[in-house]
Amino acid sequence: MKSIAIGAHLLRDDVEPVAEAVPVGDLYLSAVAVADDQPLGDRDLLLRVAGVRAKLLDVATFVALRYGFTFTSAEEAQSKTLPFHGRWKRLLTAHRERVEITLKVAAATQTPRPDRHQFASGAEYLRALHAATQAATVDPLFREAAERLVVPLTVKHRWIHRDEKSVELAALVERTRLEEVREAGEELRATGVPFLLSGPWPLEVFADDDHE
Amino acid sequence: MSDERLEELPLLETLDHLLDRGVVIAGEAVISIGDVDLLYLGLNIVLANVDAVMRVSKR
Repeated sequence: MKSIAIGAHLLRDDVEPVAEAVPVGDLYLSAVAVADDQPLGDRDLLLRVAGVRAKLLDVATFVALRYGFTFTSAEEAQSKTLPFHGRWKRLLTAHRERVEITLKVAAATQTPRPDRHQFASGAEYLRALHAATQAATVDPLFREAAERLVVPLTVKHRWIHRDEKSVELAALVERTRLEEVREAGEELRATGVPFLLSGPWPLEVFADDDHE
Repeated sequence: MSDERLEELPLLETLDHLLDRGVVIAGEAVISIGDVDLLYLGLNIVLANVDAVMRVSKR
């Protein structure tokens, strides 16, 4: 058997009985056990892990691990995550009552996605891809509205360029303010700009912060 | 857009977060050849997702 890691948690009770709790340092990894020959790309498995992830977030905020990290023993989990334990502990302690939300907005201006066949090297293609992503802009009226309606409800926020067709506002929010955020999202509809407000999510974007 | 497609949006967003966010443990980024296709699919889902939102808005 192998275990697919889902997140890092402060307490064992934050994980069990929803998922397997694996001690790493003084934290716990949540994990789902699967057969060794189980392909990680299996659709049903992905949905299962996504479902467990959502249930875990209902219990307590955790640091999300990107899908694909597997281990076969507690020792392996411990050694591979060791460099992160200190940061995770600080983040989990500081943000236990907070979750992330995502406001994805369609870009006002788009640069066409580069065609990889037109590049002589992978590096050139990646640079062009990065440039196209960074060129995406948000409608200034929408950005102003988001800064006025949503940002004041957040603990911290960050505008992120993810692809050439959208820009994203990721924010950390107190769980108790989620309803206010949803209401602010409703008000944003008046801008007429297409967007998708989603959450709550575990610590994903802000899982790299190390200055709490 | 059908109601069914609209209902897919939260699922697609969930998979996007699962596949594209969170802490990357060093040395674990490559899953397998089969899953590379899946990750590309995930990126396409994100784009389709935004496109879908735009279409919904125009209705």
